Amino acid sequence: MPAIIDLAPTHTARPRKATSDSLPARILIIGTAVGFMGLMFVLPLIIIFQEAFRKGWEGFAEAFDDRATTHAIWLTLKVAAITVPLNTLFGLAAAWCLSRFRFRGRRLLSSLIELPLWVSPVIAGMVYVLLFGAQGLFGPSLKEHGIKIIFALPGIVLSTIFVTFTFVARVLAPQMEAQGQAEEEAAMTLGANGWQMFWRVTLPKIKWGLLYGIILCNARSMGEFGAVSVVSGHIRNKTNTVPLHIEVLYNEYQFVPAFAVASVLALLALVTLILKTLTTTQRGAA
Amino acid sequence: MSIHIHNISKTFGSFHALKNVDLEVNTGELVALLGPSGSGKTTLLRIIAGLEFADPGEGSIQFHGKEVTNHSAYERKAGFVFQNYALFNHMTVAENIAFGLKVMPRATRPEREDIDKTVAELLRRIALEGYGDRYPSQLSGGQKQRVALARALAVEPQVLLLDEPFGALDAKVRKTLRKWLRQFHDETKVTTLFVTHDQDEAFELADRVVVLHEGDIQQVGSPQQLRENPKNEFVADFLDCVMI
Repeated sequence: MPAIIDLAPTHTARPRKATSDSLPARILIIGTAVGFMGLMFVLPLIIIFQEAFRKGWEGFAEAFDDRATTHAIWLTLKVAAITVPLNTLFGLAAAWCLSRFRFRGRRLLSSLIELPLWVSPVIAGMVYVLLFGAQGLFGPSLKEHGIKIIFALPGIVLSTIFVTFTFVARVLAPQMEAQGQAEEEAAMTLGANGWQMFWRVTLPKIKWGLLYGIILCNARSMGEFGAVSVVSGHIRNKTNTVPLHIEVLYNEYQFVPAFAVASVLALLALVTLILKTLTTTQRGAA
Repeated sequence: MSIHIHNISKTFGSFHALKNVDLEVNTGELVALLGPSGSGKTTLLRIIAGLEFADPGEGSIQFHGKEVTNHSAYERKAGFVFQNYALFNHMTVAENIAFGLKVMPRATRPEREDIDKTVAELLRRIALEGYGDRYPSQLSGGQKQRVALARALAVEPQVLLLDEPFGALDAKVRKTLRKWLRQFHDETKVTTLFVTHDQDEAFELADRVVVLHEGDIQQVGSPQQLRENPKNEFVADFLDCVMI
């Protein structure tokens, strides 16, 4: 009997995909990733809350029964309330520009939008000091008109806008580019004007991406330290935002209040994370 | 409504998509723009709709004698049907069809009940009764394109422009829809222009066929005229008939 090459499978185990790794390799890779995440992100989060509640719930609550703390929280909310809507508008406009028009300098604009990601926030603060500070370019004329920007709310808002400008635009531009504008064109031929087209067609298409960008923008504007630190002047009850106030408390060895206030920021991050996950799923489903 | 196109050119960078195009379309005509890809036929259709603007210069477009060269798409209100349907995916079929009526200025906008009536009537015409509450993603390609047609027709446009309307559909559906379109046109006599690269489709449907090549109109005529008397080698070759 001639030898026949046996093409039938010799065992019935689940076939391995060409791209899958062996079990030890998988354990090693997943273990490293999970271990790193735990050590670098989860552990610090736990420590923040542990320190915040070191003196129990009362110690935690006491931290917020303080004028400087409540003022810092109010200021941060105010800054976010101004920054986020403005950057939502700017981001929408920029994304619209980038995805709908082809023009000279489009690439430059596209990289400029990412500037806040690769420029140190300190520099963002410094340029505004150089522009609007007492010794700055517009300093004398601002002083003449009694307008205070540096060491005041406008400066904090300006530098926060700079740092958080990128988020809405960066999320929306690729999404709008990918969706194309056929639906918008259809709306126009059906007699919709620009406003109707935006509200009825474009906005429903991008709403989850927009929300995602707004959430990121909000998280960063409430948490920004570097840029705000340069322009704020750290005046207690006046120009201290939450992150700056935490630093002041920490430097004064008030550890429980410092971590209590920090835990609010950490909580904000957690909420952001949850919202981000929800919007990402929605974007995927849409 | 008649369409009068005079000396229209369009360049994209250094590419001449259209070169000094002249074309007359009479009221109630069904005209095909036929040519290979890159011949400029879609560009011409989009310029007529106002979705694209011709190079500034001498060129002009008139709808029934009225100058519309610089009018935007929403002022021209030419019914437009896209190759890939461009339905509003977040709206139901009924909402899609009603869109053009709902965005009308308040003074001319029909009452809610009248809009519902129009939508129901259109759904009946495209044989999709009972599909009003579905979303576009739940429809087949042929159904989507019928909805797109109904949406364009809801506002009773004076001119209907179709860009490769059946290009993405399979052969059988394409044939049925072709017949449907011809029948619809015979009933309503809306001036209609459609773009195609399929000469069978052009010859079967159109009263007149415009043959385009590299941004130039090569020949305009009835299917019979073109078949019997192609003007140049390109037309003869493209239509696959012998030059006499």
